Amino acid sequence: MSNEVTTIGKRSSTSSNQNVSRWFKKNNHGNRLLTLVLFLPPALLLFTIFVILPIGEAGYYSLFRWNGYGEPSQWVEFSNYVRLFKHGAFDTAVWNTFKIILISLVIQLPLALIIALSIYKKSWANSLFRLIFFLPYILAEVAAGLIWRFVFDGDYGVMARFTEALNTDTWYILADKNWAFVAILVVLVWKYFGFHMMIYIAALQGVPKDLIEASKLDGASRFQAIWYVKIPLIMSGITISIFFSILGALQTFDLIMPLTGGGPSNSTHTLVSYLYTFGITRMNVGFGSAVGVVLFICCVIFAFTYQSTIMKDKK
Amino acid sequence: MASVEFKHIEKIYPGNVHTVKDFNLKINDGEFIVFLGPSGCGKSTTLRMLAGLEDISGGEILINNKVVNDLEPIERDIAMVFQSYALYPHMSVYQNIAFALKLAGLSKSEIEEKVRPVADMLQLTPLLDRKPRALSGGQRQRVAMGRAMVRTPEVFLFDEPLSNLDAKLRNSMRTEIKTLHKKIKKTTIYVTHDQVEAMTLADRIVILRDGKVEQVGTPREIYHSPANKFVAGFIGSPAMNFIPVELAKDEGWHVDIAGQKLNLLGDVDDNQTDTKATLGIRPCDIHITPDLLTNPLVIKGTVENLELLGSTIQLTSRLGDSQITVEAPSSHMVNEDEVTNFYIDESRLHLFSDQTGLSMYKPNAVLE
Repeated sequence: MSNEVTTIGKRSSTSSNQNVSRWFKKNNHGNRLLTLVLFLPPALLLFTIFVILPIGEAGYYSLFRWNGYGEPSQWVEFSNYVRLFKHGAFDTAVWNTFKIILISLVIQLPLALIIALSIYKKSWANSLFRLIFFLPYILAEVAAGLIWRFVFDGDYGVMARFTEALNTDTWYILADKNWAFVAILVVLVWKYFGFHMMIYIAALQGVPKDLIEASKLDGASRFQAIWYVKIPLIMSGITISIFFSILGALQTFDLIMPLTGGGPSNSTHTLVSYLYTFGITRMNVGFGSAVGVVLFICCVIFAFTYQSTIMKDKK
Repeated sequence: MASVEFKHIEKIYPGNVHTVKDFNLKINDGEFIVFLGPSGCGKSTTLRMLAGLEDISGGEILINNKVVNDLEPIERDIAMVFQSYALYPHMSVYQNIAFALKLAGLSKSEIEEKVRPVADMLQLTPLLDRKPRALSGGQRQRVAMGRAMVRTPEVFLFDEPLSNLDAKLRNSMRTEIKTLHKKIKKTTIYVTHDQVEAMTLADRIVILRDGKVEQVGTPREIYHSPANKFVAGFIGSPAMNFIPVELAKDEGWHVDIAGQKLNLLGDVDDNQTDTKATLGIRPCDIHITPDLLTNPLVIKGTVENLELLGSTIQLTSRLGDSQITVEAPSSHMVNEDEVTNFYIDESRLHLFSDQTGLSMYKPNAVLE
């Protein structure tokens, strides 16, 4: 009897081994599983250390009132989040970030595309224009912010000459609650359109000349050739450019600080400058972490939306 | 119905690169013309000037006796098939064919009415929903032709359309193009560097070199009566043998080859006073023959190299200082290093002036 049990036990263990080896063989095409076992852990480890853990920590700290010194001890549950959503400046920061995305998509990218279409062909004049348009992007954000602060200066800047010429009152645009963010948007478009233009130029130069000529023979006007041939063929460049532009909008910080520092009356904050001002400089690390978590959620929502819409056909 | 005329056409690129020089040609309605020449001879440039894709530096191009120099490509009523096929990769086969009609503002039903018959004719109906990347080379080629045909243009232009296909497919597509031309009878200009395509497709061939027309003629004329040494060497495979000779006259004109006197029985162009000339003879016009000592055109030579090509053999030997190639039926049992007799067919001789390169001899029996 006991012998029979042992035999059955052996049989079942042998059959489960066989199943495992069958499963392994089935899924290990071209050493797929081996590659997975060898290459996944380092990436997973780095991702965990530099992304998952900080986000987890931020989520944890966001439940405390904590100034960053010592161990967080004052557990406040979700009150940081409640404070955040009740704070008018946060609403403004979210709305401003949305405005940057909107302006990027509606003005910056079309402008970059129009300019790219005008100067993508190879000639020395076009190279010169490309360089000129790309220069703002090379400039450090803080330097660009300082330059534009002088430009917008109502006493000594270009704005002062402008108001003088028009014989109107001095206009301190960066101190004007209604117009300061418009000024920032102008600088943002100026700073980054060259980058998107370069993406489009690279993509346009990859469009085969034959196709453009074929469209001419088919009777396409210049606009029709752009609409029906060039734009569909540079779609991968456009999707990348949209991706960078939204990501850039969510991260906007370095231009805000030298230009307005978020003022006047917190009217020009973006999500990151808001986080910095109210979380770091005021030593509310718990509160700042809550903003960070919200920003992270925004990024995740964007990433998933982007994957399931724009990148859907590219899979 | 359309005739095409090139009048003193010039093309000069920046940097004074003169690509097409004084190109003159009249193409009759429904004719199939092939521009043939080596790379860089200006054949594609000429075609592109006709299409309106290149500016014309000088001269006039007329379609149906109307100067089209300043007209946009679409206004010239021409269609072109590109070497790369130039299919729009983001459009389906149907959309590719229908694109010109869509731009012309035709309704969906009108477009459908025009696209379907063309697709049927080119056997593209089952492929209409596919994107170009899902098609084979031959199918892409047919879509490119469909796109050209659907507009029913007056003139068809083909810019090396078969050069991206493998040899077998190229042969079948060549036949298809020929059949199609017979069916639709439209004026067609076809650019190629492949002489087989030129010989098989053309009503007339235009041979170009360095932007200049070397000869215009039917395939037979071009092959049997080349106007100059370049044409003679360019057409025919294996290439024509060239032997430097001295032209002399006693009772009649004659040349000496390898110590043998070769009387020229045809007409020598007396206007060309050049006595230094090049004798041209095609490899297939030199025959391996039994020893006929009485025949003055039989010359002895050693077989230096021999290649069996199936139905024919190709061998190299020497006539005096010149190496010659001979093509003969493979039934001849000759071997390498063997001395054999070569009979030169005098009626197939060509003679070219060394000064001008022009043909200066017309044999009595000229095949045209």
